[in-house]
Amino acid sequence: MKISFLIHNAYGIGGTITTTFNLAGALAERHDVEIVSVLRHREHPNLTPHPGVRLRALVDLRREKDHPLHSRPAKVFPSAEYRHHQYSELTDQRIAECLEATDADVVIGTRPGLNVHLALQAPRRVIRVGQEHLTLDNHSPALRTALRRAYRRLDVLTTVTEADAACYRRKMRLPGVRVEALPNSVPDPVLPAADGTAKVVIAAGRLVPVKRYDLIIEAFARVVAEYPDWQLRIYGKGEEQDRLRARIETLGLWNNVFLMGAATPMEAEWVKGSIGAAASNFEPFGMTIVEAMRCGLPVVSTDCPYGPGEIIKDGEDGRLVPVGDDRAFGAALLDLVRDDERRRRMGRAALDNARRFAPGPVVAQAERLLQEAIEARDGGQRPTSAPGGTHHTLRTQGYAARDLAHAAAAGALRTVRKGRR
Amino acid sequence: MSPERAAQLRADCSVDTDGRITFRLPPPSAAHPRLLLVLRPKKGRPEETTHTLDLEPFGDDGEVRAVLEPRLQLAEGRWDAYLLRGPDAGRERLRPGLRDLRALVDGGPGDRPSPVAVRVPYATKDGFLAMRTWLRAAHAEAGPLDVTGATMTVRARLHGAGLSEGAVVTLRLRGDTGTVRTFPAQPSGGRAFSCAVACEELAVEAAGTRFWDAFVRPAADAPLIRIGRLLDDVADRKGVFVYPQVTAGGSAIRPYFTVDNDLAVEVTALG
Repeated sequence: MKISFLIHNAYGIGGTITTTFNLAGALAERHDVEIVSVLRHREHPNLTPHPGVRLRALVDLRREKDHPLHSRPAKVFPSAEYRHHQYSELTDQRIAECLEATDADVVIGTRPGLNVHLALQAPRRVIRVGQEHLTLDNHSPALRTALRRAYRRLDVLTTVTEADAACYRRKMRLPGVRVEALPNSVPDPVLPAADGTAKVVIAAGRLVPVKRYDLIIEAFARVVAEYPDWQLRIYGKGEEQDRLRARIETLGLWNNVFLMGAATPMEAEWVKGSIGAAASNFEPFGMTIVEAMRCGLPVVSTDCPYGPGEIIKDGEDGRLVPVGDDRAFGAALLDLVRDDERRRRMGRAALDNARRFAPGPVVAQAERLLQEAIEARDGGQRPTSAPGGTHHTLRTQGYAARDLAHAAAAGALRTVRKGRR
Repeated sequence: MSPERAAQLRADCSVDTDGRITFRLPPPSAAHPRLLLVLRPKKGRPEETTHTLDLEPFGDDGEVRAVLEPRLQLAEGRWDAYLLRGPDAGRERLRPGLRDLRALVDGGPGDRPSPVAVRVPYATKDGFLAMRTWLRAAHAEAGPLDVTGATMTVRARLHGAGLSEGAVVTLRLRGDTGTVRTFPAQPSGGRAFSCAVACEELAVEAAGTRFWDAFVRPAADAPLIRIGRLLDDVADRKGVFVYPQVTAGGSAIRPYFTVDNDLAVEVTALG
């Protein structure tokens, strides 16, 4: 397959970028893969893409920031999308050109606005896969309305949790669109796992209010009161930095709680700890939880919608505590700090249980999804001789019809695909 | 060498509990590759100090490794890392891969002999692999720093020197070595001590900001030993270990770590 990812900005930092690089890299082992970054603002991406993945950008802000079209608001990219202000007529135009010219079998959008581009502008020969790294319930009604209209034209919509997939199926009428949870994958760690002896708790992510680092700090004060030789390291940067710093000072925790700044990759930092911490009020997935577990750390997390509860088995490979409860969070941390044997046992369980998020199983699922989407589409084409005219109608007829057609078309499939290459 | 290719040159490294550093590179397509470490000179000065390590094949996948033994003493400073593919090849600057520094996190052995040598691989701000080194005849490792009212109490432990009766902590005004303040150091077992500093005595009258550098004189006639925090995995501590500000004697006073991870106190007269 030739697979093309469409991403907002591959040169920044964040969960979507990391997981897209991971998935693209793993798919590149067997497929022809490129990442198309709508925006670019620096020479090198923070993460090094897999050598088999081509990376290109559509708008280079270093040269084109003042392009006249870039000052005019985007019309295709929906105005209700979070990043609409970073899009423009220039991005509208470049994305449209890119999609029109693509020779990929599959194009994968990685955020709502780009999924809309894909749904509206990708040629019909292309399988259109929208990825939602956020969640339906957290989208504004205006964005939901825009998506409801556009997403019908996708072939596949993936969410990162089962809970969110259920929301899309229940709340959006997307006939003929296959909605499936595809969790983020985390590469196999290179370094030996943490051995559970370090007196260090680690949290990582953007320093933004929803992540509730303030609650982790508050909870950690309880740990320090009993175990003054333990430290909490918070990796990341963001708008909350000064407030968190002030909180550390007010609580007198400057000898134990450290704002470490951003670290990429995090792997070498996770293995310095023996417990991971995540206290978000809301977490579409919880990439850092999986990263920490894959490095052998049990993670104490809030049981917020949607990700943590689908990642952590409470009491077995980590702890789930109520959202916003610093007492419960502190108690859960203390349980693990106090009990070396329990901490190590849960760390080993975390290592084992998090293997389901390894690229292997996740990529196998992604490949199956893409392959089945191609087969379903090609199957749908078979009964009519009209080239593509009735294609879209057929595509929206639901999975039962598609699967039937697929079965009938199995023989003709290979020929059809060969023809398209 | 295209920028793209240069960007791919990443070296992993790991430090073991003895302080041995192992650098690992993917197959460099060279018969006798070497790792070049160059001590960054002062601004405007030429490079003078370098150290070269052989990169030996290791394992089946062509990876090459170089080992920096702990007994090797490197001058204090910042060392940039390069790959040399051959005797006449130009040097290629390396980017950091995974730096496994977990063995450094707990501060290492309790008593280090003289000289105290410390090496911490790190990533430079512009994204290259470098190594921070310290080499000192003796060192006082700062521990927790408490601030109560207008008193700050620093706890520290000597390495490479013993602690005697009459030990004092000396704060020396930067740029004016004649101006010092001394405070008694209280032994707290072995080579550890603590010292309470009355912030009022550090206040300044002149407008602007002044800095006091912190030392310990472990015995009456002994030379001053710098107090700093060098013995863990944090190469650049200044923005990470941040202490509260105290107001005393009409000045705002804040202890901090310098860019060299040495302890100092920043004092600004309040207008």
